[in-house]
Amino acid sequence: MTRIFLVVATVISAAYALWPLPTDFSTGTAALTLASDFHIDISAIPNPPQDLLDAISRTKGYLQTDQLEALVVDRGASYNQSLQNASSLVSLVLSYDSGVAGEPTSISEEAIDDIDSRVEGYTLTVPEDGSAATIKANSTLGLFRGLTTFGQLWYDLNNTTYTIEAPIAITDSPVFPYRGFMLDTSRNYFPVSDILRTLDAMSWVKMTTFHWHMVDSQSFPLEVPEFPELSLNGAYGPSLVYSTNDVQTIVSYANARGIDVLPEIDTPGHTAIIAQAYPEHVACPGATPWATYANEPPAGQLRFANANTTNFTASLISSVSARFPGKYFSTGGDELNTECYAIDESTQADLNTTGKTLEQALDTFTQTVQSVLEDSGKTPVVWEEMVLDFNLTLSNNTIVMVWISSADAAAVADKGFRLVQAPSDYFYLDCGAGGWVGANPSGNSWCDPFKTWQYAYSFDPVANLTDAQAKLVIGGEHLLWTEQSHASNLDSIVWPRAAASAELFWSGPGGNIKNSVFPDVPRLHDVAFRMTQRGVGAIALQPLWCALRPGVCDLTA
Amino acid sequence: MPLFITAIVLALSAIPCCLSIWPIPRSLDSGNQILKLSGSFDISINFTNPPQDLLDAVTRTKYSIQTDQLGRLTVGRGSSDSTAFGSAKTLRTLMLALEQSASTAQPIATEAVVALDARDEGYSLSVPLDGSAGVVSANTTLGLLRGLSTFEQLWYTYDGTIYTNYAPLTIVNDSPAYAYRGFMLDTARNFFSVSDIKRTLDAMYLVKINTFHWHITDSQSWPIQVVQFPELAQAGAYSTNQSYTPNDIQDVVTYAGERGIDVLVEIDTPGHTAIIGASHPEYVACYLSDWITFAGEPPAGQLRLADASVANFTAAVLAAVAETLPSTMFSTGGDELDTACYAADGPTQMMLNESGRTLFEALDIFTSTTHGALHALGKTAVVWEEMVLEYNTTTLRNDTIVMVWISSDDAAAVVQKGYRIVHAPSNYFYLDCGAGEWIGNDPTGNSWCDPFKTWQESYTFNPLANISSAQVSLVLGGEQLLWTEQSGPENLDSIVWPRAASSAEIFWTGDTLPDGFDRVGNISEALPRLHDVRYRMVQRGIKAIRLQPEWCALRPQVCDG
Repeated sequence: MTRIFLVVATVISAAYALWPLPTDFSTGTAALTLASDFHIDISAIPNPPQDLLDAISRTKGYLQTDQLEALVVDRGASYNQSLQNASSLVSLVLSYDSGVAGEPTSISEEAIDDIDSRVEGYTLTVPEDGSAATIKANSTLGLFRGLTTFGQLWYDLNNTTYTIEAPIAITDSPVFPYRGFMLDTSRNYFPVSDILRTLDAMSWVKMTTFHWHMVDSQSFPLEVPEFPELSLNGAYGPSLVYSTNDVQTIVSYANARGIDVLPEIDTPGHTAIIAQAYPEHVACPGATPWATYANEPPAGQLRFANANTTNFTASLISSVSARFPGKYFSTGGDELNTECYAIDESTQADLNTTGKTLEQALDTFTQTVQSVLEDSGKTPVVWEEMVLDFNLTLSNNTIVMVWISSADAAAVADKGFRLVQAPSDYFYLDCGAGGWVGANPSGNSWCDPFKTWQYAYSFDPVANLTDAQAKLVIGGEHLLWTEQSHASNLDSIVWPRAAASAELFWSGPGGNIKNSVFPDVPRLHDVAFRMTQRGVGAIALQPLWCALRPGVCDLTA
Repeated sequence: MPLFITAIVLALSAIPCCLSIWPIPRSLDSGNQILKLSGSFDISINFTNPPQDLLDAVTRTKYSIQTDQLGRLTVGRGSSDSTAFGSAKTLRTLMLALEQSASTAQPIATEAVVALDARDEGYSLSVPLDGSAGVVSANTTLGLLRGLSTFEQLWYTYDGTIYTNYAPLTIVNDSPAYAYRGFMLDTARNFFSVSDIKRTLDAMYLVKINTFHWHITDSQSWPIQVVQFPELAQAGAYSTNQSYTPNDIQDVVTYAGERGIDVLVEIDTPGHTAIIGASHPEYVACYLSDWITFAGEPPAGQLRLADASVANFTAAVLAAVAETLPSTMFSTGGDELDTACYAADGPTQMMLNESGRTLFEALDIFTSTTHGALHALGKTAVVWEEMVLEYNTTTLRNDTIVMVWISSDDAAAVVQKGYRIVHAPSNYFYLDCGAGEWIGNDPTGNSWCDPFKTWQESYTFNPLANISSAQVSLVLGGEQLLWTEQSGPENLDSIVWPRAASSAEIFWTGDTLPDGFDRVGNISEALPRLHDVRYRMVQRGIKAIRLQPEWCALRPQVCDG
């Protein structure tokens, strides 16, 4: 794995606020203000896609409304004099590099391209003399990434929008193509507006994948027109459902922001709620004590040894996946409980009839479900147990998510699968919130302690991998399991922490946590404060006293 | 194999009668029948010239009952209750009755700041099944307010009908087991607006918390504008917009008082005062020196306590703030003195040498000066435990209230010295624990008081552990606390609620449930009620978090361990 980390910097710039850090950039020390008639010029782009036009208007909106004061003790007051004399930037010109010809493709189309074919690179220049700034890219998605960077350059002082670091020159592209965030909408329900707000925040730190863990044992909030009973009986309530229109809204919103949606229907475990509509397909529903039959209440798993259940599951996956334009679909596969099947007479009868072991039956089930996906052009995604715990015949194309431990990545790579780093010991955002199971006062979070942004940031995505295996790592993601969260604490649990992996997988590992030139804490403060200005409730990582004094609250201070 | 549906039915049959009240009254007799609330429901007052803040409380209660719109936390959210709506009676009136002569009725805000040992929060409540008037009776308007907060929690809404399923209900002489039930907020590490504080006070009212411990300043910022010392906030607030004007302070105090909440302001001294150096560098030792050597956290800097002019300045600042506050209590802090800071401070060493005093002897004199100023204003001093356990302070008045924070194990030692205590132990009640390290450049660092203190861990706290029966009266109560290195308005509600309700019940209800059973031993009974008050908070605009998947919240005990 190439670890690209080329900082071409000429000044120490504590206020510099780019996140993720561009792979190659330089800045100056000149003040530059944004002209009141500043505009973004796309005259060089014939027939610009609508989602690019929308991205341009959002960018101009942020430039107007961010109103972010520089995170320095005087909040930028001392820049006043130099701003009086500064040049003014009137325009930003977007253009494709010379290689692009014909009708441009949209951000939305490029965002769901094959993950190894996406082009996100761009170059950005902001001259100090007030002549036009430029963003150039080989793709519309690249232009969009450049706009996102441009939006992070500016501060506000008495209604003047400015930078004190002109001229700026950036050449940037990501190290890893998969940079994700996972949200569980089953343990607790999240309104569509919460998801859209989360997608906005993801786009600001250049994430590419919304991994949507839609359903689980506790609720089935997804409307599936072919199987309406699933949400009718399994959602928390009639208004706590993602309708087909809602899904379309979310997918369009994500794609227009450069984000692919990876839907997950977790099977065959984590499916107790299906019993509310289809009791015949579920083994040990509500079995007690739940701790024997499930990792958390309620118990209940699909009867995968049963041919009808297998066909039902394949139809369900087919119905759902057809409504998502992305090429990737997760069938889950984590935490199968074998005790549940041992007491399920129906499963035991099926196994006896077919003469299969549980593992052989799972293999048949998995192959059936995977072939439905592959027949419709989708690439299956699974949790690591499907590779490490069971001997299954999976498509070579399968992408495996490593979650139990970061130490498991090497074993998955040994088997030759591409993998996404989602290790609980670094990227689980729910860890450290204490035990949530009732009547258990001394219970602790199973994955205690809390994973701080800086701990997550220290993750090495290619640890213990050979150079050849490292190529199998397509990226990683932060994850939020929602036993203890919903709309009230979504933003505060996720942001700005999830930005840690966004930078790790864009800029490359081995980042600059101890680098005195571009230390991370002040940049991450900046992201958090800008998110808050944009309506995302990112939390304070430190007292404001520290946020205004870069490095002073470091352990090495 | 048990069917899904069977598990649910079994669980329902185990639900105790009174899910919704938090803290649970010490006396409670309730039925399980439906009583509807009339569309013309009103609350009447049986005495003339009721104080305005009681009238306002009545208005708020009526409004909350109409707007809570809370569906009962059961599968179906109350649909099974609706079958009884047709035959149920309707409640038209709740009457508030003062048991003493009405001429003695004081504003709630007045009674909320009466000295702790004289405060009267008791009330009785009856809600008959037959639709005849409900009654809240009490000796004080403060007691009536507590009765209203109980009454508000009885009501659910299903399909437009407001009803309770606990009729008939009788509560006789419910009163708190402990006089002090608090919540502490640090507004110095990060700033919180007056509206954030008011929203918090609303939630505190709902669970009968009676003290807002306002840790208003610390080393990072000085957000309180003190009229006589304007330079403190001018140089020490994060910005003008991030400071409390005298009007803001009065606004908070009034809002709290109307909700039965006393405001205990703390100006932490002589440590935790680096920010004073921004306006008075001559008063601060090791100002902005290496924090790892000289402070528990950045920035370093403490008042030069051995300097008489610093002691006089400090006393004047404390008095200037305290004299504007109605509370009988004021905290001078006193935690985490860094002795290395003073050892390295030339002026402090010179003054100690000249006076021939040890550091702690100088601290004793400093404290007698600051506390003397408070005593002259009729205030009772409150201090952190180190003032008693570590610094050998000899001049503390006997009536000083000591907050135990370092460990719950320290309570007995403080009580041994004869002081009254407030339980604020980090190992049970610190709401910030478990959020990881916030110091920069420390990827493997953890929260110093890890792990996270869950509501249920807090709930098992025993206020009388290792306290002899003769010393029980020294235990005033307790509080949960939020230090705000890692929080601001964005996560205030989610860190605090519903967890801080845990201590509210410990110190109101005491050891025993109204049915005589041990409260902690029946923690399974508590969670459904806590879910309920949490969902009610959310209906009122407080962003309390989910304690479990909603699947569990609708199925009491099914997700127990």
